[in-house]
Amino acid sequence: MSRVITREVVQGLYKHTGTARVDVDVAASFKVGDTIRARNINPTGHTRLPRYIRGKQGQVAVDHGVFQFADSLAHSSGKQPQHLYSVRFTAREIWGADVPAQDSLYIDLWDDYLESA
Amino acid sequence: MNSIHDMGGMHGYGPIVREEDEPVFHHEWEGKALALARIALAGGHFNLDEFRHVQERMPPAHYLTIRYYERWLEGTVAMLVEKGVITAEEYAARLAELSGEAL
Repeated sequence: MSRVITREVVQGLYKHTGTARVDVDVAASFKVGDTIRARNINPTGHTRLPRYIRGKQGQVAVDHGVFQFADSLAHSSGKQPQHLYSVRFTAREIWGADVPAQDSLYIDLWDDYLESA
Repeated sequence: MNSIHDMGGMHGYGPIVREEDEPVFHHEWEGKALALARIALAGGHFNLDEFRHVQERMPPAHYLTIRYYERWLEGTVAMLVEKGVITAEEYAARLAELSGEAL
Protein backbone atom coordinates (compact mmCIF):
# COMPACT_ATOMS: atom_id res chain seq x y z
CA MET A 1 0.00 0.00 0.00
CA SER A 2 2.84 2.39 0.80
CA ARG A 3 3.93 4.75 -1.95
CA VAL A 4 6.66 7.27 -2.47
CA ILE A 5 5.64 10.88 -1.82
CA THR A 6 6.56 13.16 -4.68
CA ARG A 7 5.99 16.87 -5.27
CA GLU A 8 2.96 15.98 -7.44
CA VAL A 9 1.42 13.92 -4.63
CA VAL A 10 1.79 16.77 -2.17
CA GLN A 11 0.30 19.32 -4.56
CA GLY A 12 -2.63 16.99 -5.19
CA LEU A 13 -3.30 16.56 -1.48
CA TYR A 14 -4.84 19.97 -1.07
CA LYS A 15 -6.47 20.28 -4.49
CA HIS A 16 -8.28 16.97 -4.63
CA THR A 17 -11.04 16.66 -2.04
CA GLY A 18 -11.66 12.98 -2.69
CA THR A 19 -14.87 11.04 -2.21
CA ALA A 20 -16.02 8.00 -0.29
CA ARG A 21 -18.64 7.28 -2.97
CA VAL A 22 -18.26 3.86 -4.60
CA ASP A 23 -19.42 3.12 -8.12
CA VAL A 24 -20.88 -0.35 -7.58
CA ASP A 25 -24.44 -1.64 -7.73
CA VAL A 26 -25.59 -2.56 -4.22
CA ALA A 27 -29.25 -3.12 -3.29
CA ALA A 28 -30.75 -0.60 -0.86
CA SER A 29 -32.52 -2.09 2.16
CA PHE A 30 -34.62 1.06 2.60
CA LYS A 31 -36.24 3.75 0.49
CA VAL A 32 -37.11 7.39 1.05
CA GLY A 33 -40.06 7.68 3.43
CA ASP A 34 -39.41 4.39 5.23
CA THR A 35 -39.67 4.43 9.00
CA ILE A 36 -36.55 2.91 10.48
CA ARG A 37 -34.90 2.40 13.84
CA ALA A 38 -31.19 2.91 14.41
CA ARG A 39 -29.80 -0.35 15.72
CA ASN A 40 -28.70 -0.52 19.33
CA ILE A 41 -25.15 -1.63 18.68
CA ASN A 42 -22.11 -1.01 20.86
CA PRO A 43 -19.10 -2.09 18.82
CA THR A 44 -15.69 -1.83 20.44
CA GLY A 45 -14.24 -0.77 17.07
CA HIS A 46 -14.79 2.39 15.03
CA THR A 47 -18.36 3.42 14.30
CA ARG A 48 -19.99 6.57 12.96
CA LEU A 49 -23.28 5.79 14.68
CA PRO A 50 -23.45 8.15 17.67
CA ARG A 51 -24.76 6.84 20.96
CA TYR A 52 -27.63 9.32 21.14
CA ILE A 53 -29.16 7.93 17.94
CA ARG A 54 -29.06 4.24 18.85
CA GLY A 55 -32.51 2.74 19.35
CA LYS A 56 -34.23 5.88 18.04
CA GLN A 57 -36.90 5.87 15.35
CA GLY A 58 -36.65 8.07 12.27
CA GLN A 59 -37.54 8.39 8.60
CA VAL A 60 -35.33 8.02 5.55
CA ALA A 61 -35.17 11.49 3.94
CA VAL A 62 -32.56 11.01 1.18
CA ASP A 63 -30.76 8.03 -0.32
CA HIS A 64 -27.26 9.38 -1.07
CA GLY A 65 -26.20 6.27 -3.00
CA VAL A 66 -23.44 3.76 -2.33
CA PHE A 67 -20.47 4.66 -0.13
CA GLN A 68 -17.57 2.80 1.44
CA PHE A 69 -18.17 1.90 5.08
CA ALA A 70 -15.97 3.66 7.64
CA ASP A 71 -16.58 1.02 10.32
CA SER A 72 -14.96 -1.71 8.24
CA LEU A 73 -12.26 0.46 6.67
CA ALA A 74 -11.00 1.35 10.15
CA HIS A 75 -10.24 -2.33 10.75
CA SER A 76 -8.85 -3.52 7.42
CA SER A 77 -12.15 -5.27 6.65
CA GLY A 78 -12.57 -3.76 3.21
CA LYS A 79 -14.89 -1.10 1.86
CA GLN A 80 -18.16 -3.06 2.39
CA PRO A 81 -19.93 -0.60 0.05
CA GLN A 82 -23.54 0.07 0.97
CA HIS A 83 -26.24 2.71 0.75
CA LEU A 84 -25.88 5.80 2.88
CA TYR A 85 -29.01 7.71 3.84
CA SER A 86 -29.90 11.04 5.36
CA VAL A 87 -32.29 10.05 8.14
CA ARG A 88 -34.57 12.48 9.93
CA PHE A 89 -35.15 12.13 13.67
CA THR A 90 -37.39 14.51 15.57
CA ALA A 91 -35.64 16.34 18.39
CA ARG A 92 -38.30 14.98 20.74
CA GLU A 93 -37.51 11.39 19.70
CA ILE A 94 -33.89 12.01 20.67
CA TRP A 95 -34.07 14.38 23.63
CA GLY A 96 -37.60 14.02 25.01
CA ALA A 97 -40.65 16.20 25.54
CA ASP A 98 -38.84 19.37 26.71
CA VAL A 99 -37.47 20.36 23.28
CA PRO A 100 -39.36 22.25 20.52
CA ALA A 101 -41.78 20.08 18.56
CA GLN A 102 -40.74 21.55 15.18
CA ASP A 103 -37.03 20.70 15.54
CA SER A 104 -35.46 17.68 13.91
CA LEU A 105 -32.01 16.30 13.16
CA TYR A 106 -30.85 14.91 9.83
CA ILE A 107 -27.94 12.54 10.15
CA ASP A 108 -26.17 10.43 7.52
CA LEU A 109 -26.34 6.73 8.39
CA TRP A 110 -25.23 3.60 6.56
CA ASP A 111 -27.53 0.71 5.73
CA ASP A 112 -25.91 -1.55 8.35
CA TYR A 113 -26.94 0.88 11.12
CA LEU A 114 -30.66 0.62 10.36
CA GLU A 115 -33.53 -1.80 10.86
CA SER A 116 -37.20 -1.57 9.88
CA ALA A 117 -39.50 -0.07 12.48
CA MET B 1 -16.53 2.38 20.36
CA ASN B 2 -18.23 4.14 23.25
CA SER B 3 -15.71 6.70 24.38
CA ILE B 4 -15.07 10.39 24.96
CA HIS B 5 -15.04 11.40 21.28
CA ASP B 6 -18.78 10.67 21.07
CA MET B 7 -19.85 13.77 23.02
CA GLY B 8 -23.29 14.43 21.54
CA GLY B 9 -25.78 15.23 24.28
CA MET B 10 -23.21 15.67 27.05
CA HIS B 11 -23.53 18.62 29.41
CA GLY B 12 -20.97 20.67 31.32
CA TYR B 13 -18.48 21.77 28.68
CA GLY B 14 -19.60 25.39 28.63
CA PRO B 15 -20.40 27.60 25.63
CA ILE B 16 -18.63 27.34 22.27
CA VAL B 17 -16.48 30.47 22.08
CA ARG B 18 -15.99 31.89 18.59
CA GLU B 19 -12.61 33.55 18.13
CA GLU B 20 -12.49 36.82 16.14
CA ASP B 21 -10.15 36.57 13.11
CA GLU B 22 -9.16 33.07 14.08
CA PRO B 23 -5.82 32.12 12.48
CA VAL B 24 -5.51 28.87 10.52
CA PHE B 25 -2.95 27.69 13.07
CA HIS B 26 -2.36 29.07 16.56
CA HIS B 27 1.19 27.70 16.63
CA GLU B 28 3.66 26.81 13.88
CA TRP B 29 3.92 23.20 15.11
CA GLU B 30 0.20 22.72 14.42
CA GLY B 31 0.75 23.19 10.71
CA LYS B 32 3.63 20.71 10.84
CA ALA B 33 1.43 18.18 12.67
CA LEU B 34 -1.22 18.55 9.96
CA ALA B 35 1.37 18.17 7.21
CA LEU B 36 2.89 15.08 8.84
CA ALA B 37 -0.52 13.41 9.14
CA ARG B 38 -1.48 14.25 5.54
CA ILE B 39 1.83 12.98 4.18
CA ALA B 40 1.58 9.74 6.17
CA LEU B 41 -2.00 9.26 4.94
CA ALA B 42 -0.97 10.00 1.35
CA GLY B 43 1.87 7.51 1.72
CA GLY B 44 -0.72 4.78 2.24
CA HIS B 45 0.52 3.80 5.69
CA PHE B 46 -2.99 4.03 7.16
CA ASN B 47 -6.39 5.35 6.14
CA LEU B 48 -8.56 8.19 7.47
CA ASP B 49 -10.88 5.90 9.41
CA GLU B 50 -7.98 4.15 11.10
CA PHE B 51 -6.63 7.62 11.94
CA ARG B 52 -9.94 8.60 13.54
CA HIS B 53 -10.07 5.35 15.48
CA VAL B 54 -6.56 5.65 16.88
CA GLN B 55 -7.59 8.99 18.40
CA GLU B 56 -10.78 7.46 19.81
CA ARG B 57 -8.65 4.84 21.54
CA MET B 58 -6.78 7.45 23.60
CA PRO B 59 -7.52 7.35 27.35
CA PRO B 60 -10.47 9.76 27.83
CA ALA B 61 -8.72 12.01 30.36
CA HIS B 62 -5.76 12.38 27.99
CA TYR B 63 -8.04 13.04 25.00
CA LEU B 64 -9.71 15.92 26.84
CA THR B 65 -6.53 17.61 28.04
CA ILE B 66 -4.48 17.78 24.85
CA ARG B 67 -4.96 20.20 21.97
CA TYR B 68 -6.64 19.28 18.69
CA TYR B 69 -3.39 19.03 16.71
CA GLU B 70 -1.70 17.18 19.56
CA ARG B 71 -4.27 14.45 18.91
CA TRP B 72 -3.26 14.55 15.23
CA LEU B 73 0.42 14.30 16.08
CA GLU B 74 0.03 11.55 18.68
CA GLY B 75 -2.40 9.71 16.41
CA THR B 76 0.02 9.84 13.48
CA VAL B 77 2.92 8.57 15.59
CA ALA B 78 0.75 5.79 17.08
CA MET B 79 -0.36 4.72 13.59
CA LEU B 80 3.20 4.69 12.22
CA VAL B 81 4.28 2.51 15.16
CA GLU B 82 1.28 0.16 14.87
CA LYS B 83 1.85 -0.24 11.14
CA GLY B 84 5.53 -0.99 11.65
CA VAL B 85 6.84 2.06 9.78
CA ILE B 86 8.84 3.12 12.83
CA THR B 87 9.33 1.56 16.24
CA ALA B 88 8.46 3.22 19.53
CA GLU B 89 12.14 2.93 20.46
CA GLU B 90 13.25 4.75 17.31
CA TYR B 91 10.75 7.52 17.99
CA ALA B 92 11.84 7.88 21.63
CA ALA B 93 15.50 7.89 20.63
CA ARG B 94 14.95 10.61 18.02
CA LEU B 95 12.97 12.72 20.50
CA ALA B 96 15.81 12.42 23.02
CA GLU B 97 18.34 13.31 20.33
CA LEU B 98 16.39 16.41 19.26
CA SER B 99 15.78 17.62 22.81
CA GLY B 100 19.52 17.21 23.40
CA GLU B 101 20.20 19.41 20.38
CA ALA B 102 17.84 22.07 21.69
CA LEU B 103 19.75 22.24 24.94
